[in-house]
Amino acid sequence: MSAPTAPPPVRTQPVPERVGRVAEVRALSRTTPGVLILFIAALVVVSVVVGVVTAISVQSRAQALDNLSGRSGPLSVAAQDLYRSLSDADATANSAFLEGGVESKAVRDRYEKDIAEAQHALAIAVAAREPADLADPNSPLAVLSSQLSVYTGIVETARANNLQGNPVGAAYQREASTLMHKLLQAAQSLYEMETQGVADDQDSATSWLGLVVEVLLGLATLVLLFYAQRYVRRRTRRRINVGLAIATVAALASLVWVLAASIGVMANVHASRENGSDQTKILADARINVLAARGDETLTLVARGSGAKIEDDYKATRKTLATQQLPGARDLATDVDVRADVQTAIDQEIAWHKTHTDIRDADNQGDFPSAVDKALKGAAKQFDQVDQALDDAIGKTTNAFDQEVSQASDALAGLVVGVILLALVTAAGAVAGIWQRLKEYR
Amino acid sequence: MKAITLVLAVVLVAAGCSAAPSAGGIQNPAAVQALPEGATEVTATPAPSVDDSCGDPKASYRPDGPPPAAGDFEFGSTMATIYQRGRLKVGVDQNTYRFAYRDSQSGQIEGFALDIAHQIAKAIFGDDDPKRLQLVVLTSTQRIPAVKNGDVDLVVHSMTANCERWKDVDFSTIFYNAEQKVLVRKNSGYKDRNSLAGKKVCATKDSTSLARVVNLNVTPKPIGMQVAGWTDCLVMLQQNQVYAISTDDTILAGLAAQDPFTVVEKDEIAPEPYGIAMPKDHIEFVKFVNSVLEKIKADGTWTSSYNKWLAQLLGPAPVPPAAVYKG
Repeated sequence: MSAPTAPPPVRTQPVPERVGRVAEVRALSRTTPGVLILFIAALVVVSVVVGVVTAISVQSRAQALDNLSGRSGPLSVAAQDLYRSLSDADATANSAFLEGGVESKAVRDRYEKDIAEAQHALAIAVAAREPADLADPNSPLAVLSSQLSVYTGIVETARANNLQGNPVGAAYQREASTLMHKLLQAAQSLYEMETQGVADDQDSATSWLGLVVEVLLGLATLVLLFYAQRYVRRRTRRRINVGLAIATVAALASLVWVLAASIGVMANVHASRENGSDQTKILADARINVLAARGDETLTLVARGSGAKIEDDYKATRKTLATQQLPGARDLATDVDVRADVQTAIDQEIAWHKTHTDIRDADNQGDFPSAVDKALKGAAKQFDQVDQALDDAIGKTTNAFDQEVSQASDALAGLVVGVILLALVTAAGAVAGIWQRLKEYR
Repeated sequence: MKAITLVLAVVLVAAGCSAAPSAGGIQNPAAVQALPEGATEVTATPAPSVDDSCGDPKASYRPDGPPPAAGDFEFGSTMATIYQRGRLKVGVDQNTYRFAYRDSQSGQIEGFALDIAHQIAKAIFGDDDPKRLQLVVLTSTQRIPAVKNGDVDLVVHSMTANCERWKDVDFSTIFYNAEQKVLVRKNSGYKDRNSLAGKKVCATKDSTSLARVVNLNVTPKPIGMQVAGWTDCLVMLQQNQVYAISTDDTILAGLAAQDPFTVVEKDEIAPEPYGIAMPKDHIEFVKFVNSVLEKIKADGTWTSSYNKWLAQLLGPAPVPPAAVYKG
């Protein structure tokens, strides 16, 4: 405000004023009513701060859990479905070429189902974004949403030519596969982004910092209440001040509730990693490699003799799968059924690899028809069993994840409202209790 | 009060302006054009070799007589080795319709070149068992390395015998006389090779066709588009990514047969005599193959294969190419 009358050069004025206020408080603290007023003020401030801070921090934890169950969790599942169905669609379209003639209904159905699933998963992933997230044409979602239809268009052209017996059909199929490589890279980075989203939400749901601040503030309230009660008891020789006692009980209840709920949440979220997302990650990675290995196997035969490089890819992929990912998934398994599924996958993968060796031997010895036969019958079935076993295991670990997250959310149910109410009770109790004593000095 | 209104208005307008572009994602998403794997433009490549260091590239080693009876081969000869192995490893193409292609009904690789390979296998093993042929599909660039590494015994492909290749492999006598021509869409307005000036023309990587097209005597020079297989060129023509395809008429006829809206233009760019490629230093094997070719050209087998596979695309069978021998 304008103060034209104030003498400009007096700069020392604020200092004596502050000293004056401090002195005032000191003076107040020398009288009993003064001390009581200070206690009221301090208790009201502390309990309101406790209420607000705890409510905000619990709210952010609940938000992170909501994200896990409603956003990042489902999105990472969708991204994984997207990768799987795209990769399977391409392997299926390629194996149709090995069959010769018109592809069988089963193969065509599988391809169509894969594309439907991919588009569904893509729609989920896109729906969770803002339009601006798609602004960069090279972002995974922009690539996937703009080019998946180009892929299916080329596959249909390949098919139309194949139905007429035109070899150019195979060239269209190769062009489609080349495009799919790009799409799979995008799907992989999308999957990594969404998995990171899950890890971030898990981190923020279990932030220690928030809990430490909540507990310190809760303890501060209790300490303050303790001193207030001791002071009141000494001055008034009454053992119990009902208001302060209620305030203490409320503050204690709030602290215990927050502590119990938070520890529960941490345990659940920890379990959601251990029994859920950590296992899902390695299982999904293994599945991606299973699909890649199958794709390499069929492509080597489609390339007919010039597929040595593709076969090398198969070997590298298979090695990671058999020596790291599948045994790793078995070691991580915390559930008997999941371990059984992974064991099935391991056994079937070994059987499949044996068939694969037979396929390569037959092809290398020039017996192409028998190589194709083995690939379309034996290996296809074994591959399906590995894929199915991993799918089952992923279903279970995803379920475990959802359960833990929903239990964690339940633990926080009513906590925000409860903490605010208990803070109000603490403040009201303290005010009422001390006010009663204060009245005696009037 | 006026000032506040003014400030508010400015703020609102500014907010409106800055909010608008961020609302819509990509404003003008570009159409996505898929390309065959490895498709790249080529503007400068060495002119096709006018290398005549080998004399006449069509000349091969003269056989010592008619082919010996099946299985009756000199110990240690290439034929004896193949006979003992029980299979003849043949490098083939799978994309040249009716010349060497994968039949979409049977899933088998068939065609004129495959008939020639079967005749050679029959001369070695004495039977018609299709399992005698172990087919290795090769793209144009893979042919010479496959022969040199011993991955295949021979290559029956749309492979022109020239002096540059003679340095790496030996060729049989000519089994087919092809000519490099141009395939365009029917309504393309193509008149002669000048119509290719500055246009994109597709051919396979490292092929003589590509080198010839990029160095064609027109201004501006055509832009080469190189791909792995000939059907990849047809894909690019159908997707409007190239103006023309230029290569051997056998290949072009096979492509034209798959797309009734294309036509093989008459004018010839260069002759392309095909030979069967075999490893160096197996002259007895080259002589043997030449004797088989001599026999099938003489006894009508060559002509009946031509009629079966190529007559409907290229018209009635010509006289089989005459064998030319060294020295």
